[in-house]
Formats: sequence, C-alpha cells, structure tokens
Amino acid sequence: MKVRSDILKVYRSLHTWVGITTGLLLFIGFFAGALTMFKQPVDRWISPPEQRLPWVDTAQLDSLVALTLQQHQDARQEFSLYPIEREDLAAPIQWSESGGGRGLKLSEARNIASLDAQGQLVTESLTPSLFGELVDMLHRTGGIPGDFDGEYVGIWILGVAAVLYFLALVSGLILLLPTLVKDFFALRRGKNNKRFWLDAHNVVGITSLPFHIVISLTVIVFAFHDQFYDALRDVVYPVSAPPANTAPAPAYSADRLLPPSELIARARTEAPDFAVTELLYLGLESSRPFVRVSIYNPAALVHGPVTGYMGMNPYTGELLMTSMLPGKAEGWGAIVNYFFALHFGSFGGDLVRWIYFCLGLGGAFLFYSGNLLWIETRRKKLRKTDTDIPRQPRNLRWMAAGTVGVCFGSIIGICLAMAAGKWASGLAFNINHIYLWVYYFSFLLTVTYAFWRGAGRATWQLLAACAASCVLIPGTTLVAVVAPASGLWANTSAGAVAVDATALGFALVFTCAAIHNRKRALHGGRDSVWATADANAGAEPKSNRVDASAGSEEVTA
Amino acid sequence: MNTKSGAVPSATTKRRARSKLQSDWWSKSIAGAVLGLTLALALSGLFAWIGPGGIDAPDKRQFVMWSIAPLWVIAFSLVYLIPTGRRALLTMGVLNVLAYGLLFFVKGALG
Repeated sequence: MKVRSDILKVYRSLHTWVGITTGLLLFIGFFAGALTMFKQPVDRWISPPEQRLPWVDTAQLDSLVALTLQQHQDARQEFSLYPIEREDLAAPIQWSESGGGRGLKLSEARNIASLDAQGQLVTESLTPSLFGELVDMLHRTGGIPGDFDGEYVGIWILGVAAVLYFLALVSGLILLLPTLVKDFFALRRGKNNKRFWLDAHNVVGITSLPFHIVISLTVIVFAFHDQFYDALRDVVYPVSAPPANTAPAPAYSADRLLPPSELIARARTEAPDFAVTELLYLGLESSRPFVRVSIYNPAALVHGPVTGYMGMNPYTGELLMTSMLPGKAEGWGAIVNYFFALHFGSFGGDLVRWIYFCLGLGGAFLFYSGNLLWIETRRKKLRKTDTDIPRQPRNLRWMAAGTVGVCFGSIIGICLAMAAGKWASGLAFNINHIYLWVYYFSFLLTVTYAFWRGAGRATWQLLAACAASCVLIPGTTLVAVVAPASGLWANTSAGAVAVDATALGFALVFTCAAIHNRKRALHGGRDSVWATADANAGAEPKSNRVDASAGSEEVTA
Repeated sequence: MNTKSGAVPSATTKRRARSKLQSDWWSKSIAGAVLGLTLALALSGLFAWIGPGGIDAPDKRQFVMWSIAPLWVIAFSLVYLIPTGRRALLTMGVLNVLAYGLLFFVKGALG
C-alpha cells in the first residue's frame, strides 16, 4: 500500500515524539500489569502462614457472623466474609476498625476472626500484606506518588500517556503500511542489528495491535471516567428530578441480617456454575445496606479482574444489582462488561491469563525496543575515514542510561520487594512500608547507577542484577525448605510453586541476556552507546569491524 | 480560507503549503486534544439521544461514557492528516459547531 511521503514524515515525527515521552512510563505500567495477572498467586507465595486463623465450613459461617456482630461493634457497618480458604487470606471474616472505605490503606489494622474447635470466636488484629495491591498500584500509577482530591496523580498521568500511546499505535501502523506485506513476520537477523530490532518491534506491534488498542482505550476510560460522566451529565443528559422523598428509610439492625448461608444459596441459584468467594457487606446499619457477592468461575467472562459480582440486600436477599453478573447482563450493560473483561483478561481462566501475561511483557518489549531504535537511528557511526571512534552525543547516552535504568530498575525493585516480604517479615513493624522502601530505593539506585556508569557497562551488570533478584524468589523458598529454622516459610499450593518456577525461568533469560550484552559491550562495535567507554583502549577501529561481523553484533557502516 | 492564513507567505510557499502536509505541531495537537475531545463528547451525546434505545435505555449511560474515549483518540490521531494547523483548527471547530448544534436541537426536540 502506498502512502504519500509527506504523510509518512509527519507521522514518523509523531511516532517518535509520543514514543519517547511515554515509553518508559508505559514500560512500568505494562510490566507491572503483566504481573497483576497473577496477583493472587504472588500473594499466596508471600503470605505468612502464622498469621492465618483456622477456616470454618459453610455451615458454621452463620454462627461466625452472628458471634462477630454480637461481640464487635466495629464490625456492624462493614465486613468481608470469605467462604473458601486461600493462602492469601488470613481468616474467613475480616473488618477494619475505621469501618472500611475505599482506597489502599497500608497501615490500617484489620481485625480477623474465626471459630475454634469448640465453636468459640477467636479474634486477632494484624496489618495484612498488600503486596499484590501494591503491584497493582504500580501498574496503575507507574509508581508516580501523590494524590490530589482523593485521586492518584499517577493514574491521570498514565491516562494522558494512554492517549499519546494511541497516537503512537496509529502513527506506527501508518508507517508500517507501505511495507506491511513485505515486512510482516519477517525477522531479519542480517548483519545489521538495527534491522533485527525494527523487525521485532514491528512484528510484536502488529500482532498484538488489537490488545494494545483495547488497553489504551480502557486506560483512558479508567483514568477519566469521572470527568467523562460529569461532562455527559452537564451537557448531554436532561436534568434529572431529585429522587422523590419517600417514607423514612427503614432502620436496619445488624442483628436481623439474613444468615450468610442463605445469601450464598441465593447466589448459587442465580449463578449455578460459580463459586462464591467473597461477601462484602457495606453500610449495614445505614438506609441502603448492600452486600456485594463475588462469584468465581475461571472459564467465564466476568466484569472484575478475577470475579463477577452481584448485589443483594443483606436483610431480605433481594437482588439489587445484576449488571455485573455474567450471562445475566443485557443490552448495553453486557457490552460494557466486555470492555472490562478485555482489559483484565478475565474471560478464559489461566490460559487467557498467561496469554495476557505474555502480551503485557510484549508491550513492555515494544517500549524498550522503541527506545533502542530511537538511539540506533541517531547513532554516530564510524566512517572509513575516521581515525578516532566518534563519541556518541549526550542525549543518546542519557536516553540509553535512562532506558536501562528505569526498565531494569522496576524489575529489580519488584523482585527485591517481594523477597523482602519474607526476609524482613520478622523485623518489620509494617511489611507494606518495607515493600515501598525496597522498591523505590532499588529503583532509584539502579537509575543512578545506569547514569553513573553509562549504558555500555551498566546494561549487562544490571541484567545480571535482574537475574540475581529473580533467583532470590525461588532461592528464598529453597532456604525455607532446607532450613526451617531460618524463620522463612514456603507455601506449597500450585500457584505459589508456579511463582517460583516463573521467577527461575526469568532468571535464566536475564542471565543469557547479561552474557550476550557483556560480549557486545566489550567486543561489539565501539561506535555505540552500548560499548564500555574504557574497553576500547588500544583497540583499532579495523579489528572492531572484524569482531562485529563475526559475532553478528553491532555493525559499522 | 487560505488567503487569510499565515504571515505574508510568497506564492511558492503558499502553493507548497497547499499541496504538502505541514507538521504545525502546536495547532494540530490543540485541535486534536481539545476540539477532538469536545467533538467526541457531542457525538457520544448524539448517540445517547438518537442511538438504539434512546436516552432512557437501561445501562446505556456507561456505554455512552465509554464511547467518548475512542471517538476522541480517533479524531486526535487523524487530525494530523489535515494539511495545515490553521485548517485543522477550523475544520474541528466547524465540526464541533455542527455537532453541538445538532445535539442541542435533538435534546430540545426529544427531551
């Protein structure tokens, strides 16, 4: 397909600018987003067994709720009930002293309770580990701290980045159109590494284009839905009459709640193929009591990241909300469910989660390779007539250092924070603060190191550091198994073991990449930001050319 | 409209400006980011009123809200195809006026 050259020129500049300004932020978003696909297994891996209370069977849930509400006034507004045991859950019933509310509260104590063998209520208070939630927050904010008017600033910044990212997708597609047929699926190793990176960038981009379109559009909506709704209300919709003031709201007393077993049975009749994983009771003694029932079936298309939802009145069992009930939603609501499911990858069980995991990492690769291509395009090449190796411009060296620093820094930060979740659990007053400190400290340290040492040397060293921090995850499990006296623990559910295996696999990949990059840094073309600055002492340009072609490494023009 | 544009360009540059796509980053980006967003709001509003089900269809407001994002970014990404920045602002401005005119007419007629 032919595209006019002036159009290509404009869209090439557009692609470059939006790519270079948002690439690193989106890398973090995509990498952390890939991890959130397995948020629950990661929480299973990390959660300490000594903080867990024994579980109760469904028949005992009724007396558990009744006893809790009798003995604990602070549970009478809001609490969560978990009928099914999981390693990442501390107890079958949990509530917070402040009476709940939304948002991530890192320091808040949770009260948890269960029944002992005699049917007596046992209660404890703890600050639960929120590692999965923090990875999710990193995914949504890119790690940019701060909030404004109750909204996270990082979410808005990622919303803006998502708009630019859509422009990058369109412009990238337009750039590819003239050579789409020829280049499609071509992965030319050739003697020119830039060609290889460009081919890889194009193949990943074009094959996952639908995924990327979905992600960019949903991120815009997730960031700005409040503003969009406000604008629609003000401009489009007719002024709605204030709700008719009906009879005084009935006063509810938490003592008259329907037993949870009845609510569960009710949910089962509505959604026979689903397991009830959580009942979240809200505003129990207010005029609008509500229980949000989470229902789980790995194969179903659902509204939430993991589960679908339905809403009931906890006193009457009346069905209040079915729009997020899989298969029950109709018309427009059903279509909106697809948008959510397509972002969360929550429509085909673990298989789709793995596919989304790979697509997320593929997206991260897209931004990483985009930055590399930017650098290679502007690289000052060694010409035959040069006697000295050309020094690469400062903006290239900084971009290279920033790229490896930010990308590998986020990887190292997450892995170290995860390992610290076990190693520091005995010392920590609040493990969630340890996660934050370890993540930001190692992230900033990595970025600083990359700028200090330069991309040439830092790249392979940081890749080695990535490998080492990944190994720490299964390594911690190994120590826990071999030396239980260390105070570490190993959870043995399939999910937790899969986390160890995946981390080990990534450690191998990073090791290979580190070896490959070290070779390039020391023996590759000298006229590159990826060459170590001091290794070329005495090396003749000519011998470099030989090296380069022999190792199919950087090529000199 | 071109006769009014720019700071006294010569005849040749004017001809080139007409035939060749100009970058005009600031004006085109503002046309896409701001006028593209307002246009998307008006179009989704029109869809709310005269699309399937009309204004009162259950759960439709969510879908209408979702439709703003794709309309906006599609307009934003195509605005660079308009030859000059001035034309981009003008085109998007006219589309906005038309869309809002229609929206308020429909709202008045049906509401």
